[in-house]
Amino acid sequence: MKRTLLASVAASVLLAGPALAETITVGITQNNVGVDSYQTTYEKAFIEAAEADPGVEAVVLDAGGDVARQIGQMQDLIQKEVDVIVIWPTNGQAVVPIVRQAHQKGIPVVVTNSQIADAGQEFIAAFSGPNNIIQGQYSAQMMCDALDGKGQIVQIAGQPGYTTAIERQKGFEDELAKACPDVTILETQPGDWNREKSQRVMENFLTKYDTIDGVYSGDDNMGVGALNAAKAANRADGVIFIGATNFAVGYEAMGRGEYYGSVYQSPVEDAKNALATAKAVVAGEDVPKLNYFDTPKITQDNMKDFDKPVF
Amino acid sequence: MAKADAQAGRSSDRQRLISGENVRRILQTQGILIAFILFLVAFSLSSDRFASFDNVSTVFRQVSIIGTIALGVTIVVIGGNLDLSVGSLLSFTTVLVVDLHDKIGPTGAILVMFAAALAVGAVNGLLVGFARLNSLIVTLGMLSAIQGVTLIYTGGQNVDIVDQEGTWFTFFGRDFLLGIAVPTWIFLVLAVALHIVLTRTTFGRRVFAVGGNPTASAFSGVRRARVVFSTYLISAAATGCAALILGSRVMGSQNNVGQGYELLVLAGVILGGTSLLGGSGSIPKTVIGVLILGFIQNGLLLMGYPYYAQWLVTWVVIILAVWLDVASKRGRLFTTTS
Repeated sequence: MKRTLLASVAASVLLAGPALAETITVGITQNNVGVDSYQTTYEKAFIEAAEADPGVEAVVLDAGGDVARQIGQMQDLIQKEVDVIVIWPTNGQAVVPIVRQAHQKGIPVVVTNSQIADAGQEFIAAFSGPNNIIQGQYSAQMMCDALDGKGQIVQIAGQPGYTTAIERQKGFEDELAKACPDVTILETQPGDWNREKSQRVMENFLTKYDTIDGVYSGDDNMGVGALNAAKAANRADGVIFIGATNFAVGYEAMGRGEYYGSVYQSPVEDAKNALATAKAVVAGEDVPKLNYFDTPKITQDNMKDFDKPVF
Repeated sequence: MAKADAQAGRSSDRQRLISGENVRRILQTQGILIAFILFLVAFSLSSDRFASFDNVSTVFRQVSIIGTIALGVTIVVIGGNLDLSVGSLLSFTTVLVVDLHDKIGPTGAILVMFAAALAVGAVNGLLVGFARLNSLIVTLGMLSAIQGVTLIYTGGQNVDIVDQEGTWFTFFGRDFLLGIAVPTWIFLVLAVALHIVLTRTTFGRRVFAVGGNPTASAFSGVRRARVVFSTYLISAAATGCAALILGSRVMGSQNNVGQGYELLVLAGVILGGTSLLGGSGSIPKTVIGVLILGFIQNGLLLMGYPYYAQWLVTWVVIILAVWLDVASKRGRLFTTTS
């Protein structure tokens, strides 16, 4: 369906920096700008970072969540003979052939934010983004601390099939089993990154289980949905809510003492890291395959050290 | 509800009031109700929490958003058209009412939101009713267009109501009246109102007429375009009511919050037995259709099935319901003509 038609038209901004001899051209094809605040902020930060850098000329494109359009944009960027392509994959599997094509044409590809499939790893120069496994582990560690190593929790995962959702869940479950085996996960259901859906899932959990000591959500947007449900049922007191990707609503709930903690992932850092990685690749530096940017734990105790997220 | 079905032009059944036929008739007209009761019994036996008052009222509240939209869509479908724009209209109206809440206050926000919803309904109605364009194409296009408008309006940002404790806007999604959640009240009161409109008014009869036999209704002086136009206004207004519930329940909104709702809504309408060809259907049955969807999801979750079981079972239930509906009408499971 073409529901992102207008969004992509609006977002397909072509930016031309000063055309100095030593500038490099970075082409980026993003996943779906405008569909959420994270991606919107990422794009803004990427454009700002590129404009601030006299050595970079950026061609900024957006696939509008459409794999076919992203492949077309990749072909355009290859035709244009940009120096490096940054891709935020719409689908980690489907973009592998076109990534290979770019590689064969001698254009290095940097994958940003979300990984592509294993089959494509040999064709990319580097990956830049958050480490979702680590993020899941951080959340598990916070949960262990908050519950003193004992309790029953439920998990609201992201949309099934999304790498981010799968990796966070894996990191969380593995670390929880290792760090505090006496904290058991009663049940896991997907909240589809949707606050209202998560609220519904949590309502059902509250009906089903008399004792819930903690709730882990794949992002704060869903976590706040779960918090809403628990508050409405008068069962929020004493329950530990932990999320990931700290959202403004999660930050505020933390400030009110209702939400325990989250993982702070800045789209600005994500964008800057991608551009820096792309530049290093073109400059011929020895770039590691995996370039993670730091996503620290944020809790009620240390939240003053962080700006409130813009999304 | 039987009355509504009879109006759909199956009066020939009345001539066969023999006792064996009567059973078949009940199955035929009330099959969905019987299926619903069987579901409830099966789930109650397998989970002791299922039939509790708390759980049942939770499910009613959970289906109220999709249900409220489905009421409006039922009327559009009876009138012989589809409305696929409701999902992204829900996103847009929820974003609008939540965003404007902090800017111009709840009353103004609600008025502007309903005005915007009706404007969208009017465009759908003009194109399908007066310009006689295919409703699938018009409303599918509208689905993209509104999603685009929503994204431009928000710039991709989530919107939230900052002061969540100090506003009466919480009423629509979070309050209770006489022990029953306000969303449930909105859903059921609107259902009763639209049922009366559909079965007891001239307008209601005209909706069945233009959906069932547009040519005949035109010869009887029914102005199809006006009727169709009105059905889209009703659908948009119902979606606006759903946005009130959703915005107030979440006190915030993502700009794709209603994504995919159009298909859930349509599933509820079809499950209720409203014919996609138009001319037959009823509001109470849509209520039951939507409740079946809600109870399936809730029941499977309480029984501890994974989410993909819900998708699978929902699909199986829809196919079975539609098949039984068709089979009971033609008297056999498979058709003999090819």
